[in-house]
Amino acid sequence: MPAPSILYHCPCLSTSPVPPPPHLPSSSYSFHPLHTLFFCEECDAVRCNRCVSVEVSGYYCPNCLFEVPSASVRAEKNRCARNCFMCPNCRNTLSVVPSDPPDPGDGRLMVPISAVGEPPFLLYCNYCRWDSSEVGMTFEKPTGLAAQLQKFEDSALDSLEFDRLKEHFEPIIRASSLSSSTLPTQAAHSPHTNPITAAATAALARDIPGVAKYTPLTRSQRGHKDKSANKDEMPQYKSRVDITTASKHGTGGGELDVEMMKRLEDVSEIARLEQRWSLSWTTSIETRDLKPLRIPLHSKRSKRCPACTHILIKPEQKAQSVRFKIKLAAASYLPAIVVALPHRQQALAVESAKRSMVKSTTAPPDEDREGKCELQAGKTYPFNLALSNPLYDPIQVRLSVQRMHVSHSEGAPDKARRPPFAISLPTSPFTISAFAEAWEYEEDDEMFGLDDDEVLEARLRGEKEIKTKPKSVGVLEKKGNTTVIGGEVVIGKEARGNVKFNMLVSFTYRSDDPSPSESNDMGSPSKAGSKVTETKTFAFYTVVDLGAIIPKEEAKYIDDIL
Amino acid sequence: MAPIRDKFTIHSKAVVCQDVELKGDITIGAGTIVHPKATIFAIAGPIVIGSGCIIEESAIVVNRRKEVMRIGDDNLFEIGCRVESPSIGSFNTISVRARIHHTVRISSFCVIGAGCMLIPQEDETLDDYTVVYGPEAERRTWSGKGKIQEADLRRKHAEYLREMLPKFNRLRRGDGA
Repeated sequence: MPAPSILYHCPCLSTSPVPPPPHLPSSSYSFHPLHTLFFCEECDAVRCNRCVSVEVSGYYCPNCLFEVPSASVRAEKNRCARNCFMCPNCRNTLSVVPSDPPDPGDGRLMVPISAVGEPPFLLYCNYCRWDSSEVGMTFEKPTGLAAQLQKFEDSALDSLEFDRLKEHFEPIIRASSLSSSTLPTQAAHSPHTNPITAAATAALARDIPGVAKYTPLTRSQRGHKDKSANKDEMPQYKSRVDITTASKHGTGGGELDVEMMKRLEDVSEIARLEQRWSLSWTTSIETRDLKPLRIPLHSKRSKRCPACTHILIKPEQKAQSVRFKIKLAAASYLPAIVVALPHRQQALAVESAKRSMVKSTTAPPDEDREGKCELQAGKTYPFNLALSNPLYDPIQVRLSVQRMHVSHSEGAPDKARRPPFAISLPTSPFTISAFAEAWEYEEDDEMFGLDDDEVLEARLRGEKEIKTKPKSVGVLEKKGNTTVIGGEVVIGKEARGNVKFNMLVSFTYRSDDPSPSESNDMGSPSKAGSKVTETKTFAFYTVVDLGAIIPKEEAKYIDDIL
Repeated sequence: MAPIRDKFTIHSKAVVCQDVELKGDITIGAGTIVHPKATIFAIAGPIVIGSGCIIEESAIVVNRRKEVMRIGDDNLFEIGCRVESPSIGSFNTISVRARIHHTVRISSFCVIGAGCMLIPQEDETLDDYTVVYGPEAERRTWSGKGKIQEADLRRKHAEYLREMLPKFNRLRRGDGA
């Protein structure tokens, strides 16, 4: 994520509500962009995609948007059983086209033709012009193509092998579902009673020459008898076709491929890895053997809170619909924060102004821009946090920076580990007005632009003016449901790495379920009595990344030499 | 360099909109359609466009060479493409924002995919039925299946434009008219 950025904390990975310091690698796993987070109203907590429990609410084909009943999903091997195919060459969707009318043979193109196409029909890629006649695949009628292909597919080596595997594992799966339904508690507590896990453990414990033996910790306590029992539970699987001789059956590999490559004229005759990637079986590596693929189905999923199992998000059943029946996104509960570095924005503005004037599209603008935008060690920079309130009531917000640097420096005596930067933020709480739909439509973009230009001009005239500007820390601007807070970062001379800090945001809002008597007191939130009864406070952690610090090292090094 | 002498020869059945930029010695054949805002520059040598071609908005056709740039029949130059190829056959499609350098000659029934750049250092000729596609301008050869249908569609496309464009645009006539 390009800096400056802000991510929100989900406490699901640790037991403590305080997130790890941002310089630890584990930190990045606990923080997420706001739009990926959910909010459980029952638990009053943020939930992320790592901790929610996911269940499939429906399958559909992304191409024809047909909802596939879950019973046939398995039978169709998770792919669309209608007319949807993917180009084996470029992954575009294929369309069914009729063949050309017979060539009159006089070398001229016969035009016009009848509107009704004639058989045989082909699958045709509009993008790379692959067509299924290249692999000898034609159709008598333009509908139900998958069914027409069914017999080829069923007799293919890989599907026969897969059927055999399914047959082989069926008794084990049945036994496992039986045991888990009859003895749910026991199965949960000792995983080895489950035949599937037992089989997997046995497979892992098998001796493989040159590989250290896999010994799970529990094995030593459980004795010898169980080991043999595990092995007995799964009979050894014998494949239908020995993979070492598979090349004889036209699936490629071995000497045949070597022979083929000796006669190779063009690299493109060999199918690229990504073209063969989704095939489950060893296939010929030649491009001309690639077959069209039925399009894999997609699923619509609903997510539940891991603690209270309330639904957090649930899509509408229809495949065409992109709406949700239930949607408890964190973005509609927590204030959205946008981080900005004013000095970087100016650099960008100047840059874009320059570019529009010169209109040189060829020159790479990045090099020049970076020099101006980076945070240099030993300097002080202002930064802005724009907080937007998604609630229909005003909120009181308090920001505080987590004091992790101090504790860290105590722990590590190394001088380089001193707090590399200091953040100052306004400590007093401030309000953000309520969200109202009307503000969404307010046309004050121009005003904002003018403001920006003025500031820009001022800065261009002289940097000093701005630095002595009294208000760089505090509330800078209030507009609609957005309040802009100014902060400042002082970067140490020896600093390196990223300016990245944890920030606790706590906000106080009017509770949604007030006692029945208090429905008419919209105008009196300041009353001490009512405040106690009907306000709630919610706090969450965020990590703010202002970007990388340019170390002063190089410059100093040169100085030393001179 | 000598100033470019403008000389436009436009067939009476061609539809060339007023708002196109033409420079140099240009010949446009019967039934060819040039949309408004297209650009045809015959900088060094003349450009001869055959019949039934469609040149869409903001497409650029440039001849940087001394010899005549010949464009065959029923070619489609889609929006924003830039073609400097010294010779183009028939029934080719140059897709949206594709770019073809002056080192590439195009035969017939070729398709240059959307956004593809064909800028080889040395001269080369694309064979018939060459398809260039994808972000890396990969090439393959089309089997030619369905080309009659496509040609039919191209003609219908041109026919429709010949009917509709004059209703909403002023047309440009050749020097002779």
